[in-house]
Amino acid sequence: MKTRFLFPYWCRYLGWGLVIAHVPMSIIGRANGMINPLDNPPANQALFTGEHLFFLCTTLVMALGLFVVAFSREKVEDEQIWQVRLDSLRWAIFVNYFILIGSLVFIYDIAHILELNIWVPLLFFIIRFRWVIFRLNRSLSRED
Amino acid sequence: MKNNIRVERAIKNITQGELAEQVGVSRQTINTIESNKYVPSTVLALKIARVFGKPLEDVFMLEEGD
Repeated sequence: MKTRFLFPYWCRYLGWGLVIAHVPMSIIGRANGMINPLDNPPANQALFTGEHLFFLCTTLVMALGLFVVAFSREKVEDEQIWQVRLDSLRWAIFVNYFILIGSLVFIYDIAHILELNIWVPLLFFIIRFRWVIFRLNRSLSRED
Repeated sequence: MKNNIRVERAIKNITQGELAEQVGVSRQTINTIESNKYVPSTVLALKIARVFGKPLEDVFMLEEGD
């Protein structure tokens, strides 16, 4: 099956590597006194200062990692995988907007809503997609 | 939509994996089609019918309520 707009299969491992790499990066950064500008907006709003770069790097590494994991090809791509992918994407958008609207109404914290919006749809998509594939595989092994 | 892929496979003596390979999908897909959990596209249904050398309606048939 022709698949456009998907990364190769091996990119999944690269993506998880990036997601895992962002954990020690942010721990080391925080240990060295870097503060997430969303938690504590700096008085100096200049871009590309040390703290801004630290925030950019960690957030971008995490978001890119999740993005690559979410949109990398499966070993065998077929129409059912495409359907599961679309369905999971729809669920991810539903959940994202549910959380987004809920937090807009009940929380007065615009900065963290942005942060939430970066990873909620991707993470929910990945979990839902993998869960459905896991269930498909399990029903297959039950039949053997 | 019902199908008798399982019966046709038994007649032809091929496994789910072999059928999946011949039509270019995963084994999971053949398995879910056989157990009526997934309705294949027209292209895939035609490919499956071609493997068995039968017209489409001998392999796939509409159910009450479809």
